[in-house]
Amino acid sequence: MLELSVNDLYLDYGVGASANQILKGVSMDLQRGEVVALLGPSGSGKTTLLRAVAGLESAKAGTIQIGQKTVFDGSKKLEVPAEERNLGLVFQSYALWPHKTVFDNVCYGLKLRKMNSGDIAKRVNDVLGQLGLGQLGERFPHQLSGGQQQRVAIARALVYNPPVILLDEPLSNLDAKLREEARAFLRELIVRLGLSALMVTHDQSEAMAISDRILLLNNGVIEQQGTPQSMYETPDTLFTAEFMGSNNRLPAKVSGRDGTAVSLLVEGASMQGTARGSNVSDQTTAMIRVEEVRISDTPAPNGIRLPLVTSMYLGDRWECLFGSGSAEGMKLRAYAGSRLNAGEYWLELPKEKLWVF
Amino acid sequence: MFIKKSLVAALGALGTTLALQAAAQVPAGYSADYAKIVEGAKKEGKVIVYAATDTKAAEPLIKDFSAMYPGVKVEYNDMNSTEIYNRFISEVAAGGATGDVLWSSAMDLQIKLVADGYGMTYKSEEARALPEWAIMNNSAYGTTFEPAVIVYNKRLVPPEDVPTTHAEFTKLMLTKGEKYKDKITTYDIEKSGVGFMFITQDLTNQPAGFWEMAKALGSVGVRVQSSTGTMLERISSGENLIGYNVLGSYALVRAKKDANIGVQILKDYTMVMSRVVFISKTAKNPNASKLWLDYLLSKRGQTIIANDSKLYAIRADVTGETTSADLSRQIGAGLRPLPVNVSQLAYLDQTKRLAFLKQWKEAAGKK
Amino acid sequence: MSSLSLSRLNWPRGVVVTLTAIAIFLPLALVFYQSVLSGPFFMPNKVFTLGSYAFIFDDPDFRGAFLNSFMLASGLALIAVPLGAMLAFLMVRTDLPGRNYIAPLLLVPIFVSPMVMGFGYVVSMGPVGVYTMWAEQIVGGRPWNIYSFASIVIIAGLTHVPHVYLYASSALKSLGSDVEEAARVASASPLRVMLDVSLPMIMPALAYAGVLVFFLGFEVFGLVLVLGDPEGHLVLATYLYKLTNKLGTPSYHLMAAVAVCLVCVTMPLVMLQRWLLKSSNKYVSIKGKGSRQKALPLGKWKWIAFAFIALFLIFTIIVPLSGIALRSFVHNWGVGVNLMDALTVQAFRDIMEQPSLMRGIVNTVLIGVIGGAIAVACYTAIALAGHRKADGITRFLDYSVLVPRAVPGLLAGLSFLWVFLFVPAVLQALLQKSDSSVALWLVDNLIPQLRALRSTIFSVWLAYSVVWMAYGLRLISTALLQVGPELEEAARAVGANRGQVTRDVTLPLVRYGLLGAWLMMFLIFEREYSTGVYLLSPGTEVIGALLVSMWAAGAVDLVAALSFINITLVAIGLGIALRFGVKLHD
Repeated sequence: MLELSVNDLYLDYGVGASANQILKGVSMDLQRGEVVALLGPSGSGKTTLLRAVAGLESAKAGTIQIGQKTVFDGSKKLEVPAEERNLGLVFQSYALWPHKTVFDNVCYGLKLRKMNSGDIAKRVNDVLGQLGLGQLGERFPHQLSGGQQQRVAIARALVYNPPVILLDEPLSNLDAKLREEARAFLRELIVRLGLSALMVTHDQSEAMAISDRILLLNNGVIEQQGTPQSMYETPDTLFTAEFMGSNNRLPAKVSGRDGTAVSLLVEGASMQGTARGSNVSDQTTAMIRVEEVRISDTPAPNGIRLPLVTSMYLGDRWECLFGSGSAEGMKLRAYAGSRLNAGEYWLELPKEKLWVF
Repeated sequence: MFIKKSLVAALGALGTTLALQAAAQVPAGYSADYAKIVEGAKKEGKVIVYAATDTKAAEPLIKDFSAMYPGVKVEYNDMNSTEIYNRFISEVAAGGATGDVLWSSAMDLQIKLVADGYGMTYKSEEARALPEWAIMNNSAYGTTFEPAVIVYNKRLVPPEDVPTTHAEFTKLMLTKGEKYKDKITTYDIEKSGVGFMFITQDLTNQPAGFWEMAKALGSVGVRVQSSTGTMLERISSGENLIGYNVLGSYALVRAKKDANIGVQILKDYTMVMSRVVFISKTAKNPNASKLWLDYLLSKRGQTIIANDSKLYAIRADVTGETTSADLSRQIGAGLRPLPVNVSQLAYLDQTKRLAFLKQWKEAAGKK
Repeated sequence: MSSLSLSRLNWPRGVVVTLTAIAIFLPLALVFYQSVLSGPFFMPNKVFTLGSYAFIFDDPDFRGAFLNSFMLASGLALIAVPLGAMLAFLMVRTDLPGRNYIAPLLLVPIFVSPMVMGFGYVVSMGPVGVYTMWAEQIVGGRPWNIYSFASIVIIAGLTHVPHVYLYASSALKSLGSDVEEAARVASASPLRVMLDVSLPMIMPALAYAGVLVFFLGFEVFGLVLVLGDPEGHLVLATYLYKLTNKLGTPSYHLMAAVAVCLVCVTMPLVMLQRWLLKSSNKYVSIKGKGSRQKALPLGKWKWIAFAFIALFLIFTIIVPLSGIALRSFVHNWGVGVNLMDALTVQAFRDIMEQPSLMRGIVNTVLIGVIGGAIAVACYTAIALAGHRKADGITRFLDYSVLVPRAVPGLLAGLSFLWVFLFVPAVLQALLQKSDSSVALWLVDNLIPQLRALRSTIFSVWLAYSVVWMAYGLRLISTALLQVGPELEEAARAVGANRGQVTRDVTLPLVRYGLLGAWLMMFLIFEREYSTGVYLLSPGTEVIGALLVSMWAAGAVDLVAALSFINITLVAIGLGIALRFGVKLHD
């Protein structure tokens, strides 16, 4: 069942000549029980889209439907205000009300819905318990850690069982270690409670870990959408490919083409690559994921010979930088299991993984 | 039998007292009809007074009036003379509640209001005890006797410098200009209504020597101020040495407590102004107003004015601390009262007034 | 999305804006109307004419007064803004010891009547003032001239520092410490941190405060009345005062013309302010997490800071207040007077005998406390009407609220009298033309009530609240701006409508700001007088009225004694309020 549907949404900041077009015709769907991530760099419009769904921004044209109810229709000049949309929203900064206790923060939505206080207490304590905040009901936000504050914000958004929960950069305020734990926690919670969630993030690994489907936004339009796996493994555009992983970029000249197989000249060397996307011109960029580059002592097919410049220890592996030494020369990064000695190596770029856009 | 007799006697005494009280309501010497006015005033219950006399000075009058007429309350509004005028004409024009009796030191404004028809014609029972110049059309009455005097700093001004006539004053400024440079003060006649009144009357009283005096004031750099209080302060402290045309009532009161202040009444002529009172034609409490007016002019009221309010009783038959009788003796032949009549309106004509101000400012060296 | 269905129209906002507009523009309209007539507007034989403007433009006094006012206002702003900003920095951002005690002292000039202040300066630093004579003995010859225009400008500047201080300190509160710490790491001394980092970052607030005090500079009256007379310095407010007597009968049309000129001066100022405020929105700070604020350690600079503060306190507070205190305890003073001999408490005894003193004190406190609270409530409603809604209505409000302050107290009081007098009269005339029973009923019941309003304390309260609206409103909207929009959005997201958001989230978060505003309005209402002078009646007199009445009667010692009592009472009240948690800083 379709919980949320956005159709051809346009949104500007400002009016008239100086208007800044933020969303340029965005459409998306959210099924029940699905977690969709809005991913993109800053300025792509992802937060704006989320806020438009919540009713905190006014769009110019298009429609937004929550369940069966149309909450925004540009052509009919219909806009349901935020307080009537019955969505849950978790802010990036959590936006906990500093003058209310944790309990009061969470129960506010229920009070507004005129639930009686006995039921409220039960429901709130349930939710707090589910999120591991059971003992903290009487604390004030400033007395909590960052992680606890985040969970209170989530509790507040969930307590009245909205059909969709919106999350704005839920993990960005946490430090790295906490982020990993929170990632797992969030995914588990959403799945367990059977929530439908729309999440905004700029971190692709977060998006891939938590969501069922990713919408990648670029400059106000959807660049590509799909499952995390399809986004990562089969990107349609250079932008998508670059955004979704760690990559090496190689300037290349197309010397021949046969279906999806492309012959390239990379720094004079002849290589084979795979075309992705529809528009492959003569002077193009080839790219390959860092983890797909195979390091070898011996000459390898589809390979380039480069000296090792430096190695960085990452704990579980080494990231090695190869290059010609000069600033303009080609640089390649690759992973190695153990430390490499100085010298020249062959770097194999498998042709299915050497993408040309 | 005995008890009955004393009861009768007691009742009789009570009855007589009451009768006496009732009779005592009408002050001695008033016409018998006055009892009707008193009755009417009691029904009205209050009189609204707009006055420029500060509450402290008026309080003894109000207390005594209330003792005399217990059922009539005095609602006393203390504001400056400009505010009285503004408020009164606005309220009358709007048909709103306004003052019944106006009592102000701005003689010209009061007379103008009466001349413009705002005043009620009422011949006060006390009219015959007032000097002729203090009554206009049986509407406006002068109530006080306040002279324009010279005030000087006793410590710093040697007795031979204290002028006794206007000519001596001018001479002092011309001959001892160095010593008194920046130390002579008078009212800013553009800001002070009282000051303006005195100066223009000066012109009438010494047509020959007036402009010479004005120029002399200019030559010593006369300092002009907007209120009596600041003038007296500055003379007392020695910042200024001699004040001209200062309102005598305040000065004399101050001189009694402040050893620095000396007051000199000029012998050739001394102007005397009087606070004017009139009843509004549209007064909502006309009877109570009449009671108040008559009270102010009565010997009883004037005695309080003389002793408690210290504003100088205008009635010649009053004795006390501040009386016209005393002053008249001191001033002698030089008494020049500012008459309560339309001659005061001459300088309300805009052209004439501005022309005079211009001439004055040029002579006195004020830009 | 501006076109919403009718049911969504924000009617509370509409009501608030309409009432505010009426309260502001009705008196103003009367003033404008009056300025183009030849006589009082309620007199029968008047004609339309621009003669009043011709008169004042021709009058060299007016030109001189305008120029002087301009110079006074500029000098005042140039002095008050840097001093206020630096003092705010010291109180709010540094670890200066004792700053919690010093901060309330800085506000003293706000609650002393300017006339009394001026007079205090005369007693202490006038030509025969106490300190002057001491200094003469040391230096020989006259050390300073307090009646020169420069001195007046300096004193006016010093006494307006608290206004700037309030705005600057509330803006500085919201800065995170990191910007200052960055400067310190780059080896900046506290002085350089202040000049190069903290103050530039609150430039919009300072600019706003600068425009506000420039504006107040045009209105300066009491100070110039006392200090300007001796050397004849005239400013617009004292020129207006002159106009009341200059032509004999008060000339409303001339006064109105002067007021209109003043209002015209405000228009560009308000536009300047709005333009300056556009950039202030970047300074929002309370976001759902408290930002850390660490006080800047002064180290050896604290001695310099103390010296600076001491100098300010001496010249702005100690000098004039000691003058007032002195005057209340001596018979007389000046050349040749041994002060020790002249000591007395007679003035205080006389004051106690003043009939309306107790009533006056009670009325003043009531109007300050209760009237101030109601005013804050109204200002909050108005501030909320413009809060987070950057549309035409907010712009309209912004322009409008400053305008009443442009009309000097003398004329403002009169125009309010006229409103309370003539609105019922006009309404009555209109209603009497129609014969319907509704009209008749209204004439019998509503009109007398409207007329009666004038003599109640409500009219005085309304006049005060309208005239000081810009001041109080700004304090409150600054507090409102500090609430991060997300906190309000979060409430909307859980289902709270506009009213509930305001009640449950916005207002609780600004309660300290509201309390602070209440305190300020108390101080201001407490010393106000000229605005309400035509609306007072026996029973509603206030201390300000008593002071003026005694001044007119020449009883300067009583004025000094009453001021002394007044200042002491307010200081005690201020102390109590601060003790009980009304914080000037959050």
